[in-house]
Amino acid sequence: MTMITRSALFRWLDEMAEELPLIAPSYVEGILLYRQVSKSSEVAMARERPVLSPKEVFFPSTEVLFTINKNGDKLRLNETLPVKEQVVFGVKACDARGLSSLDAMFIDTAPADPYYAAQRKLTTVIGMKCKEMGETCFCTELGLSPDDPSGVDISLAEFEEGFDVQVMTQKGLDLLNRYLQDGADFYIDRSPLSGCTDATQPTRVVLPEAKTFPLLFEDAMWDEVAERCLSCRICAYACPTCRCFDIRDEELPASAGERRFERIRCWDSCTRNAYRRTAGGHDPRAGKGERLRNRIYCKYYYFPRRYGQLSCTGCGRCIDLCPVNIDITEILRRIVEVRQFP
Amino acid sequence: MTISAEIQAKAAEWLTSGDVACVVGYERGTHGRTRPAFIYQGEDVARLIFDKTCTHNLTTYLPQLFNDGSLMKATHKLAPDASIAIITKPCDIRAINVLIGENQVSRERLKVIGVVCEGILDGAGKRAFVECEPIYTYQRRCRSCSERVPLVYDFLIGESVSPELVQEEENLRGIQDLTTSERAKYWLAQFDRCIRCYACRQVCPLCNCPACLYERDDSLWVGMGFGVDEKRTFHLGRAFHLAGRCVGCDECERVCPMGLPISLLNRRLAQEIETMFGYRPGIKPAFSPLTSILQQEQGIP
Amino acid sequence: MMNKIITDENPMVPFLGKLKYVRDLGNEIKLLGVELMDGGALAFSEYHPGQFAFVSAFGVGEAPFGIASTPARSGILEFAIQRLGTVTTELHRLGQGDVVGIRGPMGNCFPMHDFAGKNIILLGGGIGGAPLRPVIHTILDNRKDYGHFTILWAARHPSLLIFTDEYEEWRSSPDCELHLTVDHPDQTWDHNVGLITELLAKVAPSPHNAVTITCGPPVMIYYVNQVLNKLGFQPEQNFVTLEARMHCGIGKCGRCNLGDKLICVDGPVFKMTEVGQFLESYL
Repeated sequence: MTMITRSALFRWLDEMAEELPLIAPSYVEGILLYRQVSKSSEVAMARERPVLSPKEVFFPSTEVLFTINKNGDKLRLNETLPVKEQVVFGVKACDARGLSSLDAMFIDTAPADPYYAAQRKLTTVIGMKCKEMGETCFCTELGLSPDDPSGVDISLAEFEEGFDVQVMTQKGLDLLNRYLQDGADFYIDRSPLSGCTDATQPTRVVLPEAKTFPLLFEDAMWDEVAERCLSCRICAYACPTCRCFDIRDEELPASAGERRFERIRCWDSCTRNAYRRTAGGHDPRAGKGERLRNRIYCKYYYFPRRYGQLSCTGCGRCIDLCPVNIDITEILRRIVEVRQFP
Repeated sequence: MTISAEIQAKAAEWLTSGDVACVVGYERGTHGRTRPAFIYQGEDVARLIFDKTCTHNLTTYLPQLFNDGSLMKATHKLAPDASIAIITKPCDIRAINVLIGENQVSRERLKVIGVVCEGILDGAGKRAFVECEPIYTYQRRCRSCSERVPLVYDFLIGESVSPELVQEEENLRGIQDLTTSERAKYWLAQFDRCIRCYACRQVCPLCNCPACLYERDDSLWVGMGFGVDEKRTFHLGRAFHLAGRCVGCDECERVCPMGLPISLLNRRLAQEIETMFGYRPGIKPAFSPLTSILQQEQGIP
Repeated sequence: MMNKIITDENPMVPFLGKLKYVRDLGNEIKLLGVELMDGGALAFSEYHPGQFAFVSAFGVGEAPFGIASTPARSGILEFAIQRLGTVTTELHRLGQGDVVGIRGPMGNCFPMHDFAGKNIILLGGGIGGAPLRPVIHTILDNRKDYGHFTILWAARHPSLLIFTDEYEEWRSSPDCELHLTVDHPDQTWDHNVGLITELLAKVAPSPHNAVTITCGPPVMIYYVNQVLNKLGFQPEQNFVTLEARMHCGIGKCGRCNLGDKLICVDGPVFKMTEVGQFLESYL
């Protein structure tokens, strides 16, 4: 395998951080998050996945779509598309799969979302293979594997001696060539690549057949499993594939005689109260059970039917973070059970 | 009889006799985590447990159960006069007093199973606990807890705590010793990584406004974006709305995915309220003095 | 089913339009006539009954509205807007000459070609009548292409009935009948009193060689559909246009789903065979 030394990697990270935004897992007051770093020492080479997924790099929690300038009866709109080249480092297989799931909806289905598409084009993604699975991880149950290199531009795997480098795309090769010297930085190791050595059993997940979902739409189980739900937004915000957003105009400071606004879009979550409430007051998902049902159905039934991929990568963040232990794998098992023993 | 067995027996008794329509308690969930449970039939009471992992403040479900059927659309629709039993720790019970004082909960329709509490473990709700593992630590709120026996109950479980249990000094991380400008600098820096998931607000029993000031569709008071200004406004504003009402259960801080010191802020304000008014929320049903005392001469509730 | 003209323009940035006129249509209901400038005029040179557009009240936000005009009758884009929330309140505040934003045309449309030769029963409830007006105009302007035309037009109160100045044209067109009803009459009301479902049961149109088109509050659509079933109409004969809270209108934000369908791109026009199953948007 082609490997680079540890020092070569850190030098590479330092050089990148000097020239363009480098976003990598980093500890912020003890919480592991993707953050822009200014040097390699700020990058956390952690086994765990960051609390939030890297989707926020491409689909920010708040994004300006355009600005509005009002001067008397003159109105001008200025589109604010992403323009900066950047690199994201340390992306795990589950999060890379999340990006490809978002790609299927944002880009591959017309019309392409120009903001997300621009950010994807401008960003090179460096992945890091997992050596072990977390307690709540279940990517393997969804046909993924922790050392799957697909979905990133360069896939790294950490070893004692250094990092195995697997170039996946031309974009990745271009980035590599920009910063690393053949010979000086690379070496070939003759030992075979050992993948994920983890022996932990992931949570067993049986994906219900598609035909099960319509049959269980009216089932009483939804109100029951959602009873303890707090209707917060943690699961949707932490999820690498959730992408619901809200849009609104908000005022900016302006000089005299002028008014300025920005049209922003922000993360939203179908689990929250009033998510679907119209101005007229109609609220088709007033109940928590209806909202939780929609979340599950969207991930495992609606999204795959429309875009050909699950809207779940088995990363396990929702299970980790839910304050009341609403466990998506438990719900899937329950669906299969209810179907078998109605 | 273990505490869990006592709870199960009482729950079964009340459910089968029809004294209550629902028992709100705790059960063991997946990955060894404890979670809230809603029991409607006598045959399900075996799910109920109580131990040092029961961190949730279940009183947060009471306003939903009592007031707004749409939020709670339970499998067993509660009759308008149905009674609800709740398993509570002494800290949670103080929240019940605040809710009663603010007319959010009907005391007559509530049957409180109060449990004498030695403390809840750090990490409860987020992980499994193994009995043979080394000593775990209690949560910060428990280490400085001053009433381990419930103030209100219809049925009491447990008698007293072990005499070795020490009450630590309230730990406010030295905040109170900072100067005003140092404190401002500290607090203004705390909310940058907030993601407005509102878990803190949703888990809190006292945050029960049908429409939150900070989440209006017209952005009247605060914008929709995840900017620093919006997030400071939300957290600092919410802390003021809770001043004199928050009972310090610390659940807001436990549920925060970003590790924000939310409860620290609430406790800091609680300290101020106690100094100014000699008042601790939840000792009896009452309104916060911040919202009810208009003249200097008025007495403290 | 036509889709909007796909352009290279950023689908999230609106075209600019000037309010050519603003007319009162009813209690807290106004008709806005928008004259599009530049690229918008091209995008809207062709649109079809049933399509909608996002109207921006700059500084507040935008909201989706069924297009209430047809290019055949009007070079000006018309929207009937009821004041209900933040965006509509701002739109009501605007006057002639003010600038709004328009994104669209969006969504699918009524399959008018498939309706050829059939009897049409059209039910409009309140502001729900607005997206049906282009259907009525298309039928009246191409009268011999369609069979017997029955219009049931309803509102809670006479002040909420829209397009009252057009009823004479509708009523007196060949082979057309117009039935009006309100839940709560005023002193001058001398037509039917009662719910549109009661009126429908009374008129009892025949399902033979017919299609139905319904738009109104979700609960009205649900109960009208029940009466249609009782009258013998099959789900494939019944068309509805649905609404939901929407934000992007182009199938990205995920909000307006009805099962695995998105009302903004797979609708808003649906046959009841497509949406009968997932009832959540009705109740």
